[in-house]
Amino acid sequence: MATKLSETETITPVAQPKKARQKSANITERWMLMPSVILLAIISFIPLFYMIYSSFMNYMINPDQPTFYHFHNWAVTFHDSAFWLSWGRTATYAISGLVLEFLLGTALALAIYRLPWGQNIVTTIWMLPLFVAPIVTGLLGRFLVNSTYGLYAWVLQLLGVHTEILGNTLTAMPALILMDMWEWTPLITIIVLAGLQAMPEEPLEAADVDGAHYWDKLRYVILPLIARPLLVAVLVRSMDILRYVDTIMITTEGGPADATKTIGYYLVQIAFQFQDFGRAAAVGLTMLVITILIGQLFVRAFTRGEQQ
Amino acid sequence: MKSKRLTLAASAVLGTTLLVAGCGNTSGNASSGSNTTSSKVDASQQIAAPFQGAVAGLPQITAPKGFNWKQYSGTTLNMITENTPPSSALAENIKEFEDVTGITVNIEQADLSTVAQKVALDFQAKSDKYQLIYADPYQMLAKYSYDYLDLNQFINDKSLPPVPGGLSDFIQSQLMVDGYMGTKDHLYALPYDTPTMVLVYRKDIFDNPKYKSLFQKENGFDWTPGPNLTWEKYLTIEKWINKEVKAGVITGVQYGAGEQAKEYDSLQCDFSDVLAAYGGDYFSAPNLGSIGTTTPGKSLMDSKQAIAAATIYKQIVDNAAPGSTSWDWNGLGEAFAAGDVAMAPEWHEFASTFENPSKSKVAGNVGYAILPKGPVRSANIFGGTGLAISKYATPEQQKAAWLFEVWATSPQAQYMILKSKDGGETPTRTSVYNLPEIQKGMTPGTPESKAMPNLLSMNATLQAWKAQNVYMRPKIPQWPQVDNIVFTQLSDMLANKQTPAQAMQNIATQSNQVTGN
Repeated sequence: MATKLSETETITPVAQPKKARQKSANITERWMLMPSVILLAIISFIPLFYMIYSSFMNYMINPDQPTFYHFHNWAVTFHDSAFWLSWGRTATYAISGLVLEFLLGTALALAIYRLPWGQNIVTTIWMLPLFVAPIVTGLLGRFLVNSTYGLYAWVLQLLGVHTEILGNTLTAMPALILMDMWEWTPLITIIVLAGLQAMPEEPLEAADVDGAHYWDKLRYVILPLIARPLLVAVLVRSMDILRYVDTIMITTEGGPADATKTIGYYLVQIAFQFQDFGRAAAVGLTMLVITILIGQLFVRAFTRGEQQ
Repeated sequence: MKSKRLTLAASAVLGTTLLVAGCGNTSGNASSGSNTTSSKVDASQQIAAPFQGAVAGLPQITAPKGFNWKQYSGTTLNMITENTPPSSALAENIKEFEDVTGITVNIEQADLSTVAQKVALDFQAKSDKYQLIYADPYQMLAKYSYDYLDLNQFINDKSLPPVPGGLSDFIQSQLMVDGYMGTKDHLYALPYDTPTMVLVYRKDIFDNPKYKSLFQKENGFDWTPGPNLTWEKYLTIEKWINKEVKAGVITGVQYGAGEQAKEYDSLQCDFSDVLAAYGGDYFSAPNLGSIGTTTPGKSLMDSKQAIAAATIYKQIVDNAAPGSTSWDWNGLGEAFAAGDVAMAPEWHEFASTFENPSKSKVAGNVGYAILPKGPVRSANIFGGTGLAISKYATPEQQKAAWLFEVWATSPQAQYMILKSKDGGETPTRTSVYNLPEIQKGMTPGTPESKAMPNLLSMNATLQAWKAQNVYMRPKIPQWPQVDNIVFTQLSDMLANKQTPAQAMQNIATQSNQVTGN
């Protein structure tokens, strides 16, 4: 014990200045970050608190002088079947879109990664939809499936299919998911491709030496190595797809028969068409909670991955 | 990890709040120029304004002697309007106004729902981003009448240019709908355009002797569209054409009829024609469609008339071109111009597109008639709009905007818009319709009709404007919600998710909730 104490005594004078320096550096960093944190607080927390306040107010009688509405907006929101149905359609849209984009994007990234040459050209071409504004994607989609002059509609008519893709409750949602895939699959591809290119060569070479097949390498080496970029890609897209309304607004406006009315469009309708800001705030806050929960889910997945 | 969570939460907050609070730019970019209000104006003498293009027989744009048309030179006005032909025509000719007044006018065009949303947000923020507003009576005037300037203050100000020809020159029923809300104490807008739903049909199909006699032989009545056509007959014609197209007997068209049945305002308009023809209406209060009210009374949508109208309307759409459920008025117009459908209820102003060979395959082959009648009458929905001035504009901008109102709604400008190469819009002024040239233009084949193709639909439209034929939807502050309820429930009905009776009952119940009945 005496020896140990003496060791401690000899170590302490050396360690203390190091800790103090680190503490001082941390304080400096925090001060330097302070303006950004304050700015972030202003642009995010003030609107958040205002939203919470708004969700308890009635703007319908006189928008200039809203009156306290107790829990009315919340009660109406949770009792509105359209609210739950919109969430259901959002789940269909988001899950289908994410799964398809994830599978296709990853497969394409793996294919591009294996190209012996021309990777940059193929990637650049594949990325082009990302540069298109979502509203233009909607216009383009609407144009292509228009039964009067649309190319896709014309091809379908040649095949004997006489249906209005965006005017049919069965086909409108799949058409919107395809439009979303066209625009956002390249994002998954790029993120995954970046992960593949940053992958260390040694495990792959070791697998080759062991005589592993491609599918074994993919399953046991490549996918675990690119797990983090995959999670980032899904996280980014999942948070985005939940609030996505641009394409819907320009193509179907929630129809036909509400088949494409997602929660984002439902909110837009209440806020900007009905000008019912109190109810819109309540709906927006539920979207916020769901988005945070999904974010948390991915953060935990990250944490678990790091611990392993 | 905490900081990661914080960042994540902050991003989520930002994303969602931006979605809700988006479009919050309320900074107006209207700039004011020098204000050199003329002090010596002689209101007893009116002098013709220096605008080009005065037309003999039309009331002229005038101003009191000594009025300086350049006194608001340097002022910039922003106008927001629906992307309709008159707005395009106005934008095309705006230089004429700018040259005389020195006022710059930026004309922003968008679809109607976007215009309504932007105007509402502008008013909420009490911003003067838009000084001149295309004030749709149902979406924008009824709910926000207190945000518009009372134009009577300018009309009563003798130092300013008066309304050329006076208010009496406007078609009075349209002035009532476009200009007032609730009472006639305040005038909020001057009539600007006049779209009215009429029946457009293919003359090459309906006048074809072979088709005509075949149809008459099989169905026992003359199918020519006109005052005797009923919605039941319309349905019969629609089905028959579909059948004969499939059999290869009728060529040059794909379907009997097209409808604007997208889950949108157009669906409500399309249905309203049938509803009113069957004697139905949305609410019980009187004068709903003319001067408007804030207390519409109980919903009448669970009435027998409404259910009968919904029942036949569903059959009509079921047998229409499949695209109908995704078409608004523009989509339907494109399909008709492409020769896809033989007949359709459509806004009469589309005549300029249908008669333009560069935009239409059916140019020269289009006929126009009032809409089919139901058991009660023919009902042709009116969709005209007025031009209003925002209360939140500066006093100088307000007066500059008044000069624009005087010019843009004058008989002279209405005549110019009508003759515009963009097709324009039919005038809101009786004086313009009284011109011999305009009267001649309503007859197909005349040089005047070629110069002003919109006039080809005017015989039908003038019939449609008669009190017994016109339908004005409810002008109430709650209309945006009611409109949404109507087209959502109808869309459900068209998708076979509910019966016509259920759809009408749902509309009645939900409308009563919105209006507090």
